[in-house]
Amino acid sequence: MNVVYKHIIRFVVFALLQALVFNQLNIGFGIHLMIQPLFIMLLPFELTVIPMMGIAFLMGLVIDIFSNTYGLNTSALVLMAYLRPIVFKFYGPREGYDPLKEPTSIDMGSNWFGLVYGILLGLHTFWFFLLEIFEIGRIGFILQKTILSGGLSFLLALLIQSFILNSKQKK
Amino acid sequence: MRNLIAFLQRFRIFLVFAVLQILAIMWYVTYLSFPRNQFLTTNNNIAIQLLEWEHDLTKHFNLSKNNTELQWENIYWRKRQPKFMYQLSRGKVKINDTIYEQQYAYIPAEIINSSVNRRNNYFTLNVGTAQGIKRGMGVFCQQGVVGVIHYASKHYSLVKTVLTKDINIDVSIRMKKSDLPGLLKWDGRDPRYGMITGINNDLRIKKWSKVETRGGSGIFPKGLPVGKVSFTEPIEGQALWKVEIRFSADYRRLQRVYIIKNLHLAEQTALEARIPEDD
Repeated sequence: MNVVYKHIIRFVVFALLQALVFNQLNIGFGIHLMIQPLFIMLLPFELTVIPMMGIAFLMGLVIDIFSNTYGLNTSALVLMAYLRPIVFKFYGPREGYDPLKEPTSIDMGSNWFGLVYGILLGLHTFWFFLLEIFEIGRIGFILQKTILSGGLSFLLALLIQSFILNSKQKK
Repeated sequence: MRNLIAFLQRFRIFLVFAVLQILAIMWYVTYLSFPRNQFLTTNNNIAIQLLEWEHDLTKHFNLSKNNTELQWENIYWRKRQPKFMYQLSRGKVKINDTIYEQQYAYIPAEIINSSVNRRNNYFTLNVGTAQGIKRGMGVFCQQGVVGVIHYASKHYSLVKTVLTKDINIDVSIRMKKSDLPGLLKWDGRDPRYGMITGINNDLRIKKWSKVETRGGSGIFPKGLPVGKVSFTEPIEGQALWKVEIRFSADYRRLQRVYIIKNLHLAEQTALEARIPEDD
């Protein structure tokens, strides 16, 4: 399957999943499950940063429209897309990434994936709640929400990888 | 100029990032002032349609809980409906007249439990001492005599009906035309037929002559309908008629009755208490 089509389908599936399933879940404790960062994470290695930020902007726009957040997700996703090459470069292999591989836990190993995605998701989630609450005095609340939501979203991302992407890889 | 272009090229990634960030944050900060931004919320057609489908799918998830809540709410409102409430104050009409003074007051009531097939039949009414019901008051319906209050609690009362065999209430009656007095009895078989005792068999009784209350004991006013004579037979060995009457009221289908309050009852009993016991 063409890489472009694959990512377009992923875009639609992730946006719909987030808008129609995870936005509707009320877990409590202020937990907000987010899977759209996983979509940014799974974009191919060779994609340069400016188109990636464009894609992130579009994705954020769709999520914002569906969750009435007026640019919050857009801002957080663009930040994540901007930071992704920097983090990738920092933790990447010395000889650079293999363009045939994908940034998944199956191709790159779960250690690498956990570290990189953990950092990116943490920054994304922290930025999201920082903008949403926008009050330095409540930094403890922001951190609490970041840790709870980020942790659960991270576990969710691992689950989605093992269920959906694994079956795709076998084909 | 060349320096500027070189600067832009070196920092173009950051510039794009900054532009996109500023767009997003501007959108976030200004959403209240620009109504056109409302299009970029769930308020547009596509998002609404998708969310509606999602709602169609998931709206039944809490069905059981929602039903329970609705049921509780139904009970809450049902309790407040006048239909299911106990009415404390019942209408009583009193007439002031200088020629005719009102002697009887009537209290409307509803039969909430009744039986006609037993040996002694009692009706339960939905009025009680709160409405001024007392033991011994008469009860009648539009078609005829019903009985006497046997026991009254605060909100309900028990009527000993004329369909009582053992401890019969002695409703004193009379033939409407011939003015013959008698006592109403019931033989405990058919709720449509009663009996009259105490009429001497030297008097003639016309079949289908009307029977009404005599109004002697102060329980019932004079002239309430009771029934019609349907069958007469001389009792052997006694100088009395066995008179069978057909009740004018159908006690099997009775729903609404009136309770009679004799406003002169205290006066009458006080007067009758003066009768010397020796004589």
